[in-house]
Amino acid sequence: MSDGHSPLLLFRCEVQELMALTETRPDDTASDEALSPTQSVAGGLLGTADHVAVGRAWVAAGSVFLLGGLVAGLLAAVEHADTGGFDLVNNANTFTQLWSAGRVFLLLGGVLPILVGLATSIVPLQVGSAGLAFARGAAAAFWTWLLSIGVVILAYAFDGGPAGGDTDFVVLWALGLVLVGVSLLWAMVTIATTVLGARAEGMTLERVPVATWGFFVFSVGGLLTLPVMIAELVMAYLDTKYGYLPTAESRAGLVGVVNTLSIAPALYWVAVPTLGLAVEAIGVHTGRAIRFHKTILALIGLLGFVAYGADVYSFSSRGRSIALDNGLMVVAILATAVVMLAILAAAGDSVKGGKPKLTTPLLAGLVSGLLLVLGAIVAELAQIDPVVNFINKNFDASINLDDALMLNGTSFHEGLRGFILGAAIVGIIGGVEHFAHKVWGRTMNGGLGAISVLAGAAGTLVWGVGGVGAGFAGQPMLPAVESGVDSTIEAFNVASLIGLGLLVAGVGIFVLNIFVSLIGRRGAGTEPWRGVTLEWATDSPPRRGNFATAPVVTSATPLADNSTDGEDA
Amino acid sequence: MSDISIREIVPAALAPATPNRPRLLVIGTALASAAVIVGFGSLLSFYVRTRALWLASDSGTWLPSGVNIPLTQPNMMAITLVFSLITVVWAVASMKSDDRSNTYIAVGLSIMFGFAYIAQTAYLLSLMGLPIAGDDAGRAPLFFAVIGSHLAITGAAMAYLAIMGIRSLGGNYNAKDVEGLYGAAMFWFVTVALYFAMWYAIYITK
Repeated sequence: MSDGHSPLLLFRCEVQELMALTETRPDDTASDEALSPTQSVAGGLLGTADHVAVGRAWVAAGSVFLLGGLVAGLLAAVEHADTGGFDLVNNANTFTQLWSAGRVFLLLGGVLPILVGLATSIVPLQVGSAGLAFARGAAAAFWTWLLSIGVVILAYAFDGGPAGGDTDFVVLWALGLVLVGVSLLWAMVTIATTVLGARAEGMTLERVPVATWGFFVFSVGGLLTLPVMIAELVMAYLDTKYGYLPTAESRAGLVGVVNTLSIAPALYWVAVPTLGLAVEAIGVHTGRAIRFHKTILALIGLLGFVAYGADVYSFSSRGRSIALDNGLMVVAILATAVVMLAILAAAGDSVKGGKPKLTTPLLAGLVSGLLLVLGAIVAELAQIDPVVNFINKNFDASINLDDALMLNGTSFHEGLRGFILGAAIVGIIGGVEHFAHKVWGRTMNGGLGAISVLAGAAGTLVWGVGGVGAGFAGQPMLPAVESGVDSTIEAFNVASLIGLGLLVAGVGIFVLNIFVSLIGRRGAGTEPWRGVTLEWATDSPPRRGNFATAPVVTSATPLADNSTDGEDA
Repeated sequence: MSDISIREIVPAALAPATPNRPRLLVIGTALASAAVIVGFGSLLSFYVRTRALWLASDSGTWLPSGVNIPLTQPNMMAITLVFSLITVVWAVASMKSDDRSNTYIAVGLSIMFGFAYIAQTAYLLSLMGLPIAGDDAGRAPLFFAVIGSHLAITGAAMAYLAIMGIRSLGGNYNAKDVEGLYGAAMFWFVTVALYFAMWYAIYITK
């Protein structure tokens, strides 16, 4: 790409009048109803089905709930750091409610909705589509999610949720979460359908940008994961209300549901789009398009596959012990670490050969990628116990393991969760800043962005180390509360508290940055980062229908002068 | 041999064929169906696992005393749903031939079979006599959760088919574009497949 030329002139895609997305189209101004529906008369957010506006709403609302979830987690950590008794809350049940609120809002209110929002806004632009498939459905999914999150808040406010005292509101909590799951599912159907069925002519699956591919794998993973959560909620609800189990587990079932999606390896599912965003940012902000495009797509797909497999194994272990005796989990966890490392190594070629500009998206991409790899490597430590069990059982050995290495069932997994979720949050901060120009037509403050990334990264590291260390010291997994624990555990709990505090500060600055940019100066032009994928050929924010004419692409980097055609070197 | 070359018959400057409209509805239905299969499969596996736990804990018989699951109704429901598969395929095939009269008859019959299935399920539940709540309810909520979920899926499949039938009536679909009916038929097949999984796990193995 040479300087001094309009990005649209550099747009190497062939342009043709023939619309690629519809069989018959009366005229050029008419749009495919399924992809770009008519906006309401009011034209406001409530009635719009414009994918960029809906995605923007997901991101803005998700950011607020992300902050809320972290604050709830922080309060639970404050309570947990002081083992002398209950100060902030009255009893163990209230502590469990606070703890579960932190988990629910962090994941289902924050991380997942923001990722869905980014995908809703960006995927149609990246694949050269006039809009999102089932755009009205996507809008309905957002509003259903928002309403459902409100129901969950209401349930917590009236003593519902896990360990809640009012059965009616416990039931309402479960219903709210079922609707949250259904709405996220529906949004993911629209995203995956867009990638599969609404790509521009010439945009083969192996040419889709890395971020879009990450969102696609994430969406398919969601379609296979969230229904299990919904089924678990139904069963836990029945157990709560009717107590059908032989041994009354009662509301412990609801705690299990909260745990299921919040601990690794289930959380690796969230790592998939985060890595996609990281690689995308690395490619753009180093000025050197990702060279091993197809390889990275394959690795991201493999990560999604393995992460889902690991997820299934963790579900199957419920009721026995988290330690598995078949070795599959061990292999899956090991594979995720190797795959994550390979993805980063492949993207590292751009850092090495390009001219990196230290922007917030690049910083966030590198840091989140490294944190994910670190988390995946740390996760290996939890596999020592299952491996030894496996060897002892199947090879008649009698290896004695130090108690400190018996990590399953301890707060080691809290630390692991810190690494993975924290890395995802840092990646989200970078991703939102990278695409802010497209999502709401304004750039974000780079200084604030860098501070939020650094605070988030430091917080993630300290949070993770605190949880992992407490696990080595033998602290049981939350929400179990122990009194009179030793000073080592207390020190690690204080570290987790500090880490969460830093993460809250980072996300707080991120939310502030979003709202500052929303009320700030509207960006001009189309291309703040000199990207080489289709979204950078659109207006900021994109016009209705996204593209003036349907693009026809011939490579994975359609805006680049020297296309690599996505071929592996 | 004629002097007319192929170039004269087909002009070189002939515009390329218009690309087919992407089958978004079919793709979306397939993805949603995958989610429904996973969700219902999870419910069913929870049911089977709970039953196994119950029997392993030596807590007595799985079915509460006085409750029996007759096989006549579940088998009749299976046959009804198999008939509905034929009528759904009939609907798609007739739409492909632009034979709207047959399409409407086939869609109507499919929906009627759906209602028949729902009615038979209601009759079966009344025969079983499972209390829905209270101290005697026991494991009844599990039955109602799984069977009720399938009824809900069946209702969704009927609504989907009805909407696509009406859209066909309105001219949205024709012999060249049967996407809507094809998607509805796909979801109907999934619904019937899920019934057979439930039929074996709940009604046959009891």
